[in-house]
Amino acid sequence: MRMSTRKMLDRAFTAGSCLAVALMALFLLLVLAPIFVQGAGAYVFRGTIEYRRMMLGEFERGNELRVAQEWSEVQRARRPIYEAMAAFERELPDLPAARRKELKPSFKAVREGVESLLGPEPGAPLPALTRKIYGQTRWGGAREKLSDILFEETWDYSGGEGRKVLVPRQPAFEGTALAPVFPLLQNGLDALLRPRLTFYPRFLTDGSVDAHFFGGIGPEVLGTLYLALGAMLIAVPLGIVAAVYFQEYAEAGPVLTFLRSCVNTLAGVPSVVFGLFGLAFFINTMHVSQGKSVLAGALTLALLVLPTVIRSSEEAIAAVPRAYKEGALALGAGQWRTILTVILPAALPGILTGIVISMGRAAGETAPIIFTAAVSVGRLVGPADVLTQPTPALSWNLYNLCTEHEAVDEIRHVQYGMAATLVLIVLALNLAAILIRARVAKRLKG
Amino acid sequence: MILSSGEQTRRKVYNWAGRCVLFAVTSVAALAVLAIILFIARDALPFFSGNDAGTFLFSAAWYPAHEPPQFGAAAIFVGSFLVTGTAVVLAVPPGIFAAICMSDILPFHVRQVLKPVIEMLAAIPSVVYGFFALAVVAPFLQGMGRWLPGNFEIASGVNALTASVILGVMALPTIVSVSEDALQAAGRELREGSYALGATRAETLVKVVLPAAVSGIFSAVLLGIMRALGETMVVWMASGNAAQIPKPWYNLLQPVRTLTATIAGDMGEADQMTGSAHYHVLFAMGFCLLLFSFACNLAGEWIVARQRRRLRGG
Repeated sequence: MRMSTRKMLDRAFTAGSCLAVALMALFLLLVLAPIFVQGAGAYVFRGTIEYRRMMLGEFERGNELRVAQEWSEVQRARRPIYEAMAAFERELPDLPAARRKELKPSFKAVREGVESLLGPEPGAPLPALTRKIYGQTRWGGAREKLSDILFEETWDYSGGEGRKVLVPRQPAFEGTALAPVFPLLQNGLDALLRPRLTFYPRFLTDGSVDAHFFGGIGPEVLGTLYLALGAMLIAVPLGIVAAVYFQEYAEAGPVLTFLRSCVNTLAGVPSVVFGLFGLAFFINTMHVSQGKSVLAGALTLALLVLPTVIRSSEEAIAAVPRAYKEGALALGAGQWRTILTVILPAALPGILTGIVISMGRAAGETAPIIFTAAVSVGRLVGPADVLTQPTPALSWNLYNLCTEHEAVDEIRHVQYGMAATLVLIVLALNLAAILIRARVAKRLKG
Repeated sequence: MILSSGEQTRRKVYNWAGRCVLFAVTSVAALAVLAIILFIARDALPFFSGNDAGTFLFSAAWYPAHEPPQFGAAAIFVGSFLVTGTAVVLAVPPGIFAAICMSDILPFHVRQVLKPVIEMLAAIPSVVYGFFALAVVAPFLQGMGRWLPGNFEIASGVNALTASVILGVMALPTIVSVSEDALQAAGRELREGSYALGATRAETLVKVVLPAAVSGIFSAVLLGIMRALGETMVVWMASGNAAQIPKPWYNLLQPVRTLTATIAGDMGEADQMTGSAHYHVLFAMGFCLLLFSFACNLAGEWIVARQRRRLRGG
């Protein structure tokens, strides 16, 4: 082959490999960007007067007087809409039958839209569901509802395949009492809802109201922390002891080979099988609790992270310079004392790295806790209940909210907020591990 | 140092006792895997004694709620293998290239920056990947159909392809980091020898380093397969969960159902009736998953051992 061809192939190969790495970084960005950008929307958003009313009503937060004043102003602005709707209802029976038939369903949709946009009409009985007591609390949601009122969604099959078309409702109502409602809504939505930039940091700690329509993710965050901490409480002592045994005591032989391949195999068991095992062993055989509980979940997660803890602790212990150990032994310390006072302290940062990474893994796992610990209905679990009570958890509830919830699309912001919070927790733990490792590297360099 | 004989005996006893305690604790940790096998098998056995294993493996009639129920899991096995296979096929080429880039091409400080990228990809919880698939990828894919040649109709964005792509991304970090270790372990002398003979970097990597590291790369691929096969949340959320064999079998735009997703999804209904056939069939599936992961593990260890023997032999 000619030299120039070989050089060109070499460059193409280099470019291809770099492309693969760039692709990987791109994937990371593609996954994280929407989750963080949209997830921020759960904490910072434009909240409407309905949000402030909801906060006052459900959480007793906010300035009562100011909200009341704002509320009365908003109601004044809303009055023409309700009056127009009432007037239209009065004139509806007098319309020609064909027109009436055409307008009635559209009017019904408008009325329902206004109800979900602005809340129930003043004077109407309070709905049973909390989500219906208030209008749209978030400006984004309000804009969507407004478009539902202004336009009718129809499907156009003229081109062969179906295409979504938005048809404005207003022309059909031209000449009726309802006509002025549309420009009022379209141009005056600001005055009707008073959006204002709102920070809601307590999304992280608040309980949820009416199946996550309002409120925060406090019970889920707490449940995740319980499970992760519980798993580490069980896995860390076991893992460190096993690592010390493997590195300092075990002699090469069939027993060691067997134990090692057991640990390797444990690392390869699929996470959902851990869940099955937790159900069959901890709950159905050992009866550690009546049914699902934080304890059973933590035990299952502990098994899942055990191989990681053992491996990283072993690496950390193996990295301790031999001279340390020999020095301690030469000073007359026994093997025990050498391990406890010299080897483990020197290996601590490395061990800590493994622990922190495993904790992130435990916090993010879903499959092992489905049958052992997680429930979807969020209730705050007190520290006294961890032995017997199941708990909501970020990972499980994220699944639950985006697949099994009755109104998946209306609570997108909660789902994104949950996903972002979970990723932040896990990445913060990983970042901590990276920092610890960097410090260790620096110290070893001198 | 002189110790009294009593002190010496005491030390010996202490040491021995400590050793025993350590051994006991280590055994508990190690034997957990045996307990897992035992208990999964215990709850899987009643299914095989009451039902026909042949039907389970080769019939595609999965009607657990019918009367009498039918537990033909062939479609679910096919779904698992289809999704896993596609994910690995998608992830292995870029994974190996990325590993080559990380180990031989990029300068040290760029590599230090990229390492956390891989770690973060590996650290993102699977349920978040699933949510991403559901909220971002699925709607995007559904809208894509019109732009593809042949004017495809993509009925639903949750299908085998979505699940495979996301699984591929999830398997990527494992493949990259294990392959990179294998490439680095191939050693400097090998590379320098090749360069000394006048080979370019690409020639060195493809003809010398890759063959030397091939066993490590194999085990990287095996680990990737294990990760993809055992993954639950992503396939549960993004694969569509229809227990059917796609027609034709390579049609990735149809929904499929996997072993892991079936276990996770059905156990919610089955656990109120612990002891029912439905409960046991899920354990039978878990047992099959365990067997697959053991097989992968064994294959990986065998490859590594063979390579070691070959290297030792010269």
